[in-house]
Amino acid sequence: MRFLLGLLSALLLANAAAAAPVDTGHLQAELVPAAQGVAPGQSVTIALRQQIRKGWHTYWRNAGDSGEATRADWTLPAGWTISDFTWPTPHRLPIGPLVNYGYEGEVLLPLTVTAPADATPGQAVTLTAKAQFLVCAEVCIPEDATLTLALPVTAAPAPLDPQWGAKIRKVLADAPKPAGLTGAFETQGQAVKLAITGAVLKGADLAGAYFFPFSGTVIDHAQPQAIERGPEGLTLTLTPGYEFQTGGPKAIGGVLALDGKAYEVTAAPGPLPAAAAGLGPPPARVAVPAAAANLGLLGAAAFALVGGLILNLMPCVFPVLAMKAASLAGHGGEHAEARRQGLAFGAGVLVTFLALAGLLIALRAGGSAVGWGFQLQDPPVVAALALLMLAVALNLSGVFEIGTSLQGVGSGLASKGGLAGSFFTGVLAVVVAAPCTAPFMGAALGWALGQPPAAALTVFLALGIGFAAPFVAVAFVPALVNALPKPGPWMDVFKKVLAFPMYGAAAWLVWVLTVQAGADAVPRILAAAIVLALALWIAGAAQRQHVQGKGHVGLAIAATVLIAAAVVGGAVWPAYALAPAAGSGAAELSEEAYSPEKLAALQAEGRPVLVNYTAAWCVSCQVNDRVALSTNAVSEALKRNNAVYLKADWTRRDAAIAAELARFGRAGVPLYLVYGAKGGEPAILPSLLTEGLVVKALDTAGRS
Amino acid sequence: MFDRRVLILAATAALAAPLATPAFAATAPVLGQAAPAFTAVDASGKARSLAEFRGRTVVLEWTNNGCPYVQKHYNSGNMQGLQKEATADGVVWLTVISSAPGFQGYLDGAGAKAWKAKAGAHSTDVLLDPKGVVGRAYDAKTTPHMYVIDKAGKLVYMGGIDDKASADPSSLKGATNYVTAALADVKAGRAVAQAATRPYGCSVKYGSAD
Repeated sequence: MRFLLGLLSALLLANAAAAAPVDTGHLQAELVPAAQGVAPGQSVTIALRQQIRKGWHTYWRNAGDSGEATRADWTLPAGWTISDFTWPTPHRLPIGPLVNYGYEGEVLLPLTVTAPADATPGQAVTLTAKAQFLVCAEVCIPEDATLTLALPVTAAPAPLDPQWGAKIRKVLADAPKPAGLTGAFETQGQAVKLAITGAVLKGADLAGAYFFPFSGTVIDHAQPQAIERGPEGLTLTLTPGYEFQTGGPKAIGGVLALDGKAYEVTAAPGPLPAAAAGLGPPPARVAVPAAAANLGLLGAAAFALVGGLILNLMPCVFPVLAMKAASLAGHGGEHAEARRQGLAFGAGVLVTFLALAGLLIALRAGGSAVGWGFQLQDPPVVAALALLMLAVALNLSGVFEIGTSLQGVGSGLASKGGLAGSFFTGVLAVVVAAPCTAPFMGAALGWALGQPPAAALTVFLALGIGFAAPFVAVAFVPALVNALPKPGPWMDVFKKVLAFPMYGAAAWLVWVLTVQAGADAVPRILAAAIVLALALWIAGAAQRQHVQGKGHVGLAIAATVLIAAAVVGGAVWPAYALAPAAGSGAAELSEEAYSPEKLAALQAEGRPVLVNYTAAWCVSCQVNDRVALSTNAVSEALKRNNAVYLKADWTRRDAAIAAELARFGRAGVPLYLVYGAKGGEPAILPSLLTEGLVVKALDTAGRS
Repeated sequence: MFDRRVLILAATAALAAPLATPAFAATAPVLGQAAPAFTAVDASGKARSLAEFRGRTVVLEWTNNGCPYVQKHYNSGNMQGLQKEATADGVVWLTVISSAPGFQGYLDGAGAKAWKAKAGAHSTDVLLDPKGVVGRAYDAKTTPHMYVIDKAGKLVYMGGIDDKASADPSSLKGATNYVTAALADVKAGRAVAQAATRPYGCSVKYGSAD
């Protein structure tokens, strides 16, 4: 009999590791050991292993809004003891407007088994667990299994189990542990602030920080946890749970999870340490979405090249380039000269693009949340550009001349002034065109800014080449120059006609300025514009005097003084006040201002959301707004799907919006996202919208 | 001058961001304050509102007949017993179904009537909330999820039905029923001793918003 028992245990032993898992319906469960046995008086780690069917999950010790933690009732031989589970860091599992905490796929819940000192080596003991699981997908099913593990008692500490030893050790190593963290919490208005400090948090990446409370009633699990960093830790803004309505908890225990690391912490009521706040939210993750990540340097450069070509057609750029191209025709057969002009223009374009890109990369390296178009986020820059546009327009209108006349009649385009003029035409064109991210540029520039500087500069260089290419081509190919109409009186008419798009561009920039700096900016910029117009008219008079050989110095000085006054008064001093963030004027669509919290709240309500990342200075954004968004059909589609239209206005700098743009691999606006009613990643709409496309996206979002 | 300005502005934006945080959207109703008003149709298609029960103690019970936790309380007769006892005492007991069409536990009027009859429920009425409006107003998370509203219309209890968060019928034995305790406190004119507990059970099957 004794022999038979021994044989039986030996058989069980041999099979211990291979003991067939029990299929409970939606998961397979088994007990697995970390070591091949345990010595008397020693401990061994075993684990309750669940292999959960795809799409289903089981729960953490605090299941969150619903659900129930996995449980096991043990039957052990006399003298043997077993610990509670060591719970690995759970995942957030959103279900409709609720959030649960639990596990998917394979999960091992380790426990420590301790053998009594009088256990007999050579024997095997059987550990029995009646395990209860609540397995849920959309619906929940309670399942249970009786699991056994035969564990040999060994004279000396047993070697690691070849199949499960390393795996269980890793689960233990990754499980949340105390790390000397100090926690404090305090109710502030409708929120609970939880401040956590400790050595392990200094300099840690806190962008993914999340607090899993042990108790199910201290916080509202479904609400977002806003993160603020401090020199020695972080402060989370939590939404209080039931317990705060009945006196509040004496302590809040839980797990602070960072990316890949997790720490146990217990917070006491009391003042929040200063070292847990003050440094703002964590910097944006450069999480390049798959599409952009796959772009590669060549692809990004190709996109940038095409984007650059398209930039030539921007309404504020075209007049400048058209005039420049027409002036080439003025050379007649002087092809060498035309080529020099083309090269000077191209150099101007490339130098400016590289300078802007260099500045942008340097600023981002310094931690600023800026993206492409950042030049136009400063009121003084916008004001200066508005005045510049006006000056160019007045020049086209013939109020004054540039370069040639001042340097003497006859030097013409062959002069060095002409080459410098071409160079600065290139500079001007880039400064004016750059913010209007052409459709193909968004992905390419977003990709570029996530790359090392050399790759980023390559993409910007490609953009510059694309931008300069049409003009340089005209300059270099004699056939194209010859194809241009012969110079004549028509050129003067053409020039004066082209002045008007430039006046329009100036008016647009004034509008941008008012969005940034408020209505008070209007009289100031218009007064500066009038002074500038007067100054340039005087300058023109001085030029005419000069041509006629009359004294002109006084007039020139007056013009210079007035120009300086206009620029300083209109753009630089005193500093423009920043207008309150209230949107950019009336819109036909009922829109709400974007904030990450607002978006999260709407998603939690299960409503589809259309987010429009836009800026007043972005021309393609305005076109999309007028043509595709502010239409009856879109407005009806929003209503029909109970969807909300959020506008993320990037006219002025905004770290949160820049972070979201970066998350989708963009460096600038426009970006259109449609979040489905059931959550998940949003659909990214093309940068050129049509009404039908938006309506279709909203209808899809209402169903998914 | 330009880049310094950019840095200053970026820093300001970063500091200002946490100040601009949230007016919290969906939060739980508040104990001791007026319970959220609602109107919902009952199984016979009649509109019922909380206001019509002013002057009587009201129990709200969220249910989903496919949920194992609900089944624990109904198959054992536990829930019907509570309902019978409470309604005999003059309490209005409203069973609310917030499952969206196509989701577990959704019933139309006829279905709800049939279910109530078959289960032998003693609730005053079954309210149909397929759009989850009442559920969201009360931030109902689980089935069952229980609320007690006193005669003045104030919320005095919210949370679980008892202290044994399990779908196992054997867990009913020895469980402390929070609703029974709260109703006893209300009847005696005392403050409810355990006024908020963790609700347990299946998630309420809210559909997507429409």
